[in-house]
Amino acid sequence: MGTFIQLVVDGLSTGSIYAALALAIVLVNQATGLINFAQGGMAVLSAYIAYAFTRLGLPLVLAILAAVVISFVIGAVIERFLVRRFEGGDPDTAVVVTIGLLSLVTGIAAIFWGYNNLAFPSLFPLTSVEILGAVVSVRSLATTVTIVAIMVVLQVLFLRTKLGLALRAVADNPASAAFSGLAVGRLLMVGWGLAAVLGAIAGVLVAPQLTLTPGMLDTALVYALAAVILGGLSSPIGCVVAASAIGVLENLVAVYVPLIGHDLKIAVPFVLIFVILVIRPQGLFGRKVVVRV
Amino acid sequence: MPAMSSVLAKRSTRVILTAVVAIALIVAPLILPAFANQTLVRIGVYAVAVLGLNIVMGYTGQVNLGQIFFVGLGAYVTAYGVNHDWNIILVFVAACVVPGIVGLLVALAAARLGGLAIAMVTIALPIVGVPLAKRLDEFTGGSQGTSARFTDAPDWSGLYNDQWQFYIVLLVTVGAFLLGRSLVRGKYGRAFGVVKENEAVAASMGISPYRTKVLAFTVASIFGGASGFLYLAAVQYTSPETLSFGHSISLVAAMVIGGAGSIIGALIGGAYYVFVPQLTNAIDPNLTAISQGAILLVVLFLLPQGLVSLPRVIRRLSRRRPARSTPSGNPPQNSPVHQPAPAAAPEGLEKTERQDRS
Repeated sequence: MGTFIQLVVDGLSTGSIYAALALAIVLVNQATGLINFAQGGMAVLSAYIAYAFTRLGLPLVLAILAAVVISFVIGAVIERFLVRRFEGGDPDTAVVVTIGLLSLVTGIAAIFWGYNNLAFPSLFPLTSVEILGAVVSVRSLATTVTIVAIMVVLQVLFLRTKLGLALRAVADNPASAAFSGLAVGRLLMVGWGLAAVLGAIAGVLVAPQLTLTPGMLDTALVYALAAVILGGLSSPIGCVVAASAIGVLENLVAVYVPLIGHDLKIAVPFVLIFVILVIRPQGLFGRKVVVRV
Repeated sequence: MPAMSSVLAKRSTRVILTAVVAIALIVAPLILPAFANQTLVRIGVYAVAVLGLNIVMGYTGQVNLGQIFFVGLGAYVTAYGVNHDWNIILVFVAACVVPGIVGLLVALAAARLGGLAIAMVTIALPIVGVPLAKRLDEFTGGSQGTSARFTDAPDWSGLYNDQWQFYIVLLVTVGAFLLGRSLVRGKYGRAFGVVKENEAVAASMGISPYRTKVLAFTVASIFGGASGFLYLAAVQYTSPETLSFGHSISLVAAMVIGGAGSIIGALIGGAYYVFVPQLTNAIDPNLTAISQGAILLVVLFLLPQGLVSLPRVIRRLSRRRPARSTPSGNPPQNSPVHQPAPAAAPEGLEKTERQDRS
């Protein structure tokens, strides 16, 4: 029983990392209708920026804050000068643009900081506590709490604020949003900026655990994409639940189903997707989109 | 009459052009150095894979991020067949049929899902494929991979190995492109286009969107398998690394850069897939990631339709300028195909338009 609880707790903590990236992807998708494959790469770049500030002697918290602000600007600039050209065009092209962006961002990080693993200082103490017989590190507990808090803030932002309403309006129908007097372009920039901020937070939370490398979040991105599809592209809560479920399930399956084991556990979320989407094509929490001809 | 003469001119130039290209391709391996031959062979290998991807993504509009899985599957089936001394024709058929069946099974489930869901299901193929290939070491040789030699030039031909491989790849690639071309230009190609544009309209025309999507996906998988056969013919070795997710993404990039929804675009895409890593590695191996990303973004920024639209864009730009500066305007000198038309039909629409303007 002790192992079981330990596995569940560990799963929840990795799941929260997938969740942070998934939230960023949902945010961009809600604002622009795109899936941003560069989200992980941008998050890694943010973590490197925070790392650079700590090397300059800035305290960790200030370094992270500075990285968050810079990430917002980078996200907004990328939207304005690169992505905007492809919005509303062929979705295949837009997907490839974000893939190109991923390669570019990874390359930039590699040029400045190289491919070697760098140690990133942790924001939270490295002690651990015992809950129900499972050893839980304070760091993963704090990470999970942070992600959940962000999820709540996002939900409130989207559903309770004017900015959230405007962002949703732009995503739903840019043309009629513009007719109602919304600054569509500026809102899209804000959407990308916020997503970059989310990515930055995910990046600095994960970096101490994984150590900094340009490809640090590549696997996490794949899981995050799986969580996004599973939870539904329109639901922040859904994708956090899905990300946690994926984290827990893959941990349990890796240990209790020897046929799958650690090497094939990455298949678990996709088999899950396959089964669930065939039953419920809009995702677990997504709304069904009705298309009229 | 004038219309017919222009068609004749068009057809004769086409025939001559085709003949020139065919002769050049047959003679080329005999005079080119081995390295150039190997490069051309690899372009052929990936052009077939990109062609398959183009049929499912470019023509039918389903985002497929798993094409490399079928290439790898085709390569493994080829290696297995060769190492068990099957007849080589049988090996080729198996290398097409096995990925085709797997593609069909995936498509039967995936084609029910719309838009991005199909991208997610296909993303899983290479990601699950790599550990699976390592696990099934009985068939795949595990992480070390497996090798198979079957494309050494026979003695009677008097050719070098690279030349012999060139002809094998040329044969299959040309066959694949002719098949692909007639597929997308015929009844099924039109169905693909309608399904891509609007599924409801397709259904109202009596085209089943589901069946069309499954067909496109299966055909793409078969082309992927054929590409895997060619890969083993050229490289003679395959490992789980062959079907990594990064390669799958590069294939999608090559397809879009070459030109989605274009047969020639698939060929350009194959060339892009082979040349750009060579080029960026030559500049500086440390800059590979950044320069590949930059090239990709620049090409898409300037030519969202892909490289295949380059002549069209140049023609449009060059046509616009002379027409404004000189009212009598010469037709663009770079297209002999169109020249007879204005000469034979002096009362054409274009002329009156010019008179109005002057």
